[in-house]
Parts: sequence; structure tokens; C-alpha cells
Amino acid sequence: MIRPTLLMLHALGASGDEWRQVRERLPDYDCVALDLPGFGAAAGQGHADVVTMADQLADAIRASGAPACILVGHSMGGKMATLVAARAAAGEYGLSRLLGVVLVAASPPSPEPMDEARRAQMLGWCADGAIDRDAAETFVDANTAARLPDPLREAAIADVRRSAPEAWIAWLERGSREDWNADIGPIAMPALIVAGSDDGDLGEAAQRRLNQPLYEEAEVAVVADAAHLIPYEQPDALAALIDGFATGLAASVLPRAFADLLGSARVSRRTRAAMLARLRPPRPSDWSAAQHATIVALTGQILPDLADADDLARRVEASIGDGGGDGWRFDSLPPDRIAWVRGLATLDTVTGGFAALDRSVQADWLDRLAAGEVGCDDDGRHLSPAQMALWFEDVRAEVVRSWVALPATMAAIGYDGFAVGGDGPRKQGYVRTQADTVEAWQVQSEAVA
Amino acid sequence: MTGTHHDCRDTVDAVVIGTGAGGAPLAARLAAAGLSVVALEAGRAFRPDEHVADELAADIYWMEERLSGGATPTAFGSNNSGMGVGGSMLHWGAFCPRPDPRDLQLKTLTGEGADWPVPHDDLIRYIEEVEGFTGVSGPAHYPWDATRRYAYPPVARNAAAEAMARGCAAIGMTATDAPAALVSRDREQPHFGQRQACVNCGTCHQGCRNAAKTSMDTTYLPYAVAHGAEIRPGCRVVDFDYDDRGRISAVVYATGEQQHRQRCNAVFLCAGGVETPRLLLNLGIANASGQVGRNFMAHVATQVWGRFDADMRMNRGYPSSLISEDMMRPGDAGCAGGYLIQSLGVLPVNLATGLARGAGMWGERLQTTLRGYNRMAGIGINGECLPHADNRLDLADETDAFGHRKARVRFSYHANEQAIDRHARRVMTDIWQAAGAQDVFAVDRSAHTIGTCRMGEDAESAVVDADGRSFEVPNLLICDNSIFPSALAANPALTIMALSLRTADRFLTSRP
Repeated sequence: MIRPTLLMLHALGASGDEWRQVRERLPDYDCVALDLPGFGAAAGQGHADVVTMADQLADAIRASGAPACILVGHSMGGKMATLVAARAAAGEYGLSRLLGVVLVAASPPSPEPMDEARRAQMLGWCADGAIDRDAAETFVDANTAARLPDPLREAAIADVRRSAPEAWIAWLERGSREDWNADIGPIAMPALIVAGSDDGDLGEAAQRRLNQPLYEEAEVAVVADAAHLIPYEQPDALAALIDGFATGLAASVLPRAFADLLGSARVSRRTRAAMLARLRPPRPSDWSAAQHATIVALTGQILPDLADADDLARRVEASIGDGGGDGWRFDSLPPDRIAWVRGLATLDTVTGGFAALDRSVQADWLDRLAAGEVGCDDDGRHLSPAQMALWFEDVRAEVVRSWVALPATMAAIGYDGFAVGGDGPRKQGYVRTQADTVEAWQVQSEAVA
Repeated sequence: MTGTHHDCRDTVDAVVIGTGAGGAPLAARLAAAGLSVVALEAGRAFRPDEHVADELAADIYWMEERLSGGATPTAFGSNNSGMGVGGSMLHWGAFCPRPDPRDLQLKTLTGEGADWPVPHDDLIRYIEEVEGFTGVSGPAHYPWDATRRYAYPPVARNAAAEAMARGCAAIGMTATDAPAALVSRDREQPHFGQRQACVNCGTCHQGCRNAAKTSMDTTYLPYAVAHGAEIRPGCRVVDFDYDDRGRISAVVYATGEQQHRQRCNAVFLCAGGVETPRLLLNLGIANASGQVGRNFMAHVATQVWGRFDADMRMNRGYPSSLISEDMMRPGDAGCAGGYLIQSLGVLPVNLATGLARGAGMWGERLQTTLRGYNRMAGIGINGECLPHADNRLDLADETDAFGHRKARVRFSYHANEQAIDRHARRVMTDIWQAAGAQDVFAVDRSAHTIGTCRMGEDAESAVVDADGRSFEVPNLLICDNSIFPSALAANPALTIMALSLRTADRFLTSRP
């Protein structure tokens, strides 16, 4: 299994070092903890505004050789993580390796809720230059649920003190106040939103109000006995959450050459966004466990050699559930969702439970189904044999269409027809079209290692 | 590209419903003649480079649900009608053989089907004009018509085309580069701008991103706009108002929640072979003959596929780059009319759907065949379909978002279509085996929506006359594939565009 690289972004007044404890607990992951301009080792770079930091982050994703990555953004860093996630989900060039986002006590892309007296106090700390030790102690202690062990506390204080005053001021005066929500649609990328149980302005309530609605699928987790500096306070709990999230996205990792091609300038933004949306885990649907088991069994019969029949079945269920359809249906069948409910019920009725049968017995039933020999009376809950034959045709088409359209399937069969024209003034297409001619940019078929 | 704004309260000379092959050329012609024209389009407007090179994400098809029945139900969705400024010309395959003169006189010559009330010479004159205005690529010498010339050299053959050329040669059939409605060299299109040379990207059916392919939004519609026409996207026609003489006085259309009325002197209904009759049936007009919805025809579009011992990658290149007209009159087939053969390159979802539906596959064979996508190639036909009284479109009880009843189409192959299908399977299998294909199999398929508002000589047997004018509503004209009296083996778009110009000319001539 290829594990995605974790790109970690720190909070105001911190540095990449804040992730040390978390990284030690994720030894199987490549982690890159950046120092944002004005902080940590990059303190000498002065300040960069939000859009510049987001651009730098996007460039870091492009420059990383990783086949897949996840952004982990803490507090201030969370704002940039969401901005870049939105750009990636919209199909921006070079960002197709980004699989998901972990927001840790994250600042939202909209103005961060902050008590104005506290803002004024924090701005006052660097009115005369660098932040002094008293102020840094006050800041660190105010953002932790309990006083940190001394070595960690000292490291946190040292990071605050070496922050460039202009970067500190720029975030408090401008960056934290900037409102980017108008540029962000529902972000079609999985997100894990982590809040500290004892955090104030950026605690669970704020996360649910300001960050969660921006993502199509975002899970919120609350870490106990933590305030705002969660990576320092509860590295065990945070590392476990990140590991669980990343493991759940393993199926979204594409083979390296294919991922590179998808991210390249040969692919248009709209095409890339559409393919990336399909890379995400299937949306939850409301089919019963028994219905799901039967759909998994049917999926496994239609496509016997699947890495994950359950995943594909869930995609089929989501597709049927949303009622989008393919522009037509058989006259003698009810609307798609109803036809599926009745078809599944009929299949279970006549076979006495399709999912539990031997594979070879299932296959025999499907032969008879296709021949129009199997069905019930059309009593409003079941389908007749003639209807079942048509419904089974729909099932085959839906299952195979869902499978072939997956980027991983395209990679496996060596299909590169999506990479025929980017957004430049001339489209690339193919120069060679005859048999046994392959251009250097084209991908050979490859499966994920 | 929306053009001169007309106020809804002004009475415009013409409202055109639909901006595809039927509506766009006549909108251009009427505007150029100085008429005030408003064209209403249900879909949105696209820039060519907005199209998506992905089969499921392409958003240019008419995806509102239609019901399909009969013994050989035909597929809709991405298989047929389009939605968007340009209509189905946004996603058509650009394969543009001319109609065979014999096909327009099928009844006279064979006793079957129907004759066209439009003389072939007349139609060809307009077809040549369309080809000249839009730019067609094709061979220097067309084996079945010595006089024919194309403006641009043919596009590159792809692996499927090379295989078909090899197979045809081996069994003594003639095949050549297909006439394709795309430009193989950069072209400056009047009032649009540069249409770039085809780059062999293979995604014609998802929308041409560099405007190489002829589409209405890159040809006739910019011309119409430059001559004062107005195009209104996102407008769904739901009703008509009438004056006391039974003439349409206004077209009622919806944009989201709002309704509008555009006053007009004439209406050109050009919504295609399904939406045109559906609107008339929903409104209960122009159907004294009882012919609206009848004689639905879909081309027999059987395909034959096989696996080659070579890296074919058939998604590359113009998908139908080879043609044979040798079977336009297959003497031994037992059918009236005949069929065209073309090479096929399709994208993976299209192939997968064909295997699962048209070839009835599932299980290991299905998955193995799809995993071998890069070695697959196919050939297919476009075969004559005769008008049959029981092949018809009517209305289902279910309604759409506008309260109109959905279309229900019942379509069954009769003896003629079965004979063509049978003959074509044999011929194509021979070609494919001669070309070196293995595991050869056929896929059942039909395509195009034709008939349903047939044109003819009299009000008893037809919906419109030879000029596209309704026999019943004096200022209603229809121009799209619904008015075809017979299917013709040639793909319909070129003929629709030609009829569109002709309809406009006849209308202009008849004006007081």
C-alpha cells in the first residue's frame, strides 16, 4: 500500500517543529513540515500574505515527488490548506495528487473569530519589535488546556519569540480577517476536522459552523484534554486520527505516472476536476445491509476480478440513489431507484437469498435472469421475468460504467484519452494514431503497487 | 454570443426553437435577409474549450428522462439529442456522407418506405452550400461519386480505420477516408474566428475543444448573431399564444421560475425528433393528421468488434475515419435500402455500455474484454430504417419539471431492419476476420431519432409540407430530423442543415 505524504502546516507563532511529536508517532509516513514565511527557519523571509502562502503550498505539492499527499493544517495553516484544497478540487494544474485535508483547530477561509481585545493585546506584543518571553509564555499557556511539559513549552515559546513581527502583525491585521468564502464552492475532497475539547474561538462549535460546511464530506473529531495547540498537547490522539484518515484514502492513490499525467498541462481543469471527484470515496447511501450485500454480489458477478467490490457497489448505490440517470429508461420498468429495490427483492425471493449462494450458483441464476426465465408477479413490490431481464441489463450497464470511469481503471487499462488538451491556446491531441505507435508522454497500463 | 436584444413585447419576425442543425442555419439565413430573429435554446452556452474530455462529465447531452420500449428499444441520453447552444451538433460524430439519391425515392424504386417531396438535386445544392460554409475534410477522389470535392484533405486514419482498410481490401470491398465535418487545417470562420485544425484527440462526442468540428455555435450561430439575430440560452418553451385566426402570436418560455412571452409572426420548431413531437403532443396542436409522433425511425447501427494483436488505442484520432458505401444496395440482403460502413473508435464507457447492453456480456469475458481496451477496434453501420406505423412516440403519464408529459418511444425492428442487421453482421465479421481480428462479436445498437413529424404532400398523411410548413397552424414551421419521411442511410445532420437553409429560402420567397 502506498501511503500518502503528509504536508504539514503550522500555526501562528509556531514552525514545522510543532509537528515533531506527531511525526514520531507516524513512522510509516513521509512527512514534510513546512516553515511558513516569517516563522521558524523562514523567519528571515518576513511576511507573506495568505494568497502567497497558498501559492507556495501549491508549489510544494507540485514539487513533491510523492504520488499522493494529504494537507495537515493547524490553526493559521488550516486557512491555506482549505484554500489549496478548493483549488485542487476545482481541477487546478499540478494538484491532482492531493487526496484529502486534515484541519487541526483550523482557521477558516472566512474571518477568524477572535476577541478584539485579545487581538489588540497580541498586536501590542510586537509593537516594539520581537515578542518578549513574558508575552510568549502568556500566548503558549493561554492556548493549552494544561501547562505543557517544560521541553515542549520551551520549544513553543522559542518559536513564538523568533517569529518575524511583520508576519505576526500581517496575520492578525489582515490574513485572519480576509474572507475567501466567495471563491470556494463545496469542496469535493475528504476532510477530517479536528477540534480541541478546551479550545475557545476555534473549538468544535466554530469548526462545525465555519469549516465543515465548506466540504462535501467532512468528519469532525474532538480531542479531549486539548485546547488550541493540539499537536503539542495530544500527539497520540492526533496521530491516530491522521493515520485513520490517511488509511481510509489508500484506495484513492493512483499509480505515479498516471497521477503525473492527470496533473499535467495536457489535461483541462474541468476534465481534471471531474476525474478527481470520481477518485474520492463513494458517498454514503441509504440502502439496507441486505440490499447492499446483494448489490456487492451482483457487482462481483458482473466484474469478477475487482480489488474492492464493496467500494464499487457503493458507487453504484450512490449513482442510483441520486436519481440522475442516463437520460432514459425502459418503458416497462418503474423509475430507476424503484426498479432496483424491486429487482433486488425479486432476486432474493426467487433465489432464497442471492448474496449467500455459491458463486457458481449465482452465475447460473444470472444466466436464467438474462434469458427472462426468472421473476415474480408484478405485484408492486417485485418484477416479472421480462422486467427482470431488462433490469439486469441496467444493472450490468451501471456497474460496468461505474468501474470503467474510475481513474484507477483507466490507469489499469492504459487509457490516456483524457490527456488530450489542456487549457492553453492549442490543444495537444495525438500526433500518432496508427497501431503500435505510442508517444513518449503516453502511459502504459499500470496498477497501483 | 447572444446578439441584438429584442424586447419580448416587440413582435419579431421569427422565433426559432432549438439551436441545432435544424434551427441554426435557418436563423442565419433569416437574419441575413433582414428579419428579426430570436432563437430560444433550452441548454446553456459553451465556449468550445469548456468541453470536458470525459464521458460521464460531458454536459452537452439531453439527459431528461425518456421512456423507451418496443422489441428493440433505442437508447437516449448521450446516444442522441443534445442540450446547449448548438444542440446535438455539440456532440455529433461529424461523419457526413451525403444522402444517396436512391434513398430519397425509396417508395418509387422499391415499393417500400416513403419518397421525399424534396428533389435530390435541390437538396444537394443546399448540401454543397453547407459543406462550403462549414468546411469538410475528405478524400480527393470519392469512389462512389466522381464529381465530389472536399475543401480539406482527410484527417489521419486511426488504427481502427487502417484495420478496416486492410479487411475491406482483402475481401474486395472499396473503402476510403470518410467525409468528416471538421477542418484538417486551421480555418478562419466568418464571424466566429479561428477554428483550429483537428488534433486527433478523439473526443468529438464530448464536444470539440478547438472548434475543428463543425458545430452550430462555431459556424451558423455566430453568422446569425452578426446579422442581428438574438440567441437566448436557458429558455424552455412551454406553450404558445394564438390570435383569433389560429396563428401563433407568442412563444411562452420558462427561464427557471420565470415565464416569458415573445411575440412573433412565425415560429420555427427545431427541437429534434423527440422534443419537437413531444411539445406538439403536450400542447395538442398541429396534429389533425394524427401523424405527430408516428413513424419513429432509428438507424440500424449494429457494430462488430474484435481484438487485435497490436496496440490499437482506438480512442486516438477522428473516431470514424474510414467509410464504405459498397453496401448501399446489398443485392442479396432482402431489404429495401442499404447501409454505410464506418470504422469505429470509441471511448471506454461507450464500449463498456455496448458490451453490457448490446452484447449481453457480463463476468470474466466482459472484464477481460475491457481490460484489453487498447487492443480492441470495431466497425459499424448506419442502416436504412423504414417508417412503420407502430414505431411511434407518444406521451407517458409521468411529467417533467415543466409539467409536460415525458416522451415514450416504442421502436421495434421489422423485417427490413432485421435483414439489414443480419447482412451487416456477416459482412462486417468477414471484414474484421480478414483484418486479423480475434474473438469477433457483434453489438446490437440503433441510433438517431428520425421521423415523428413527417413532411409530405397532403394534410391527411403528413404534419408539414415540403417546405416545412404545418398544414394546420399557418405560421408554424418545423425543421429537424422529425420531418424526414424516411431515414436515409446517411447520418442525418448534413441533410438537416441543408433542409434548414431550404426551409428559410422557401419561407422568404413566400412572404408577402
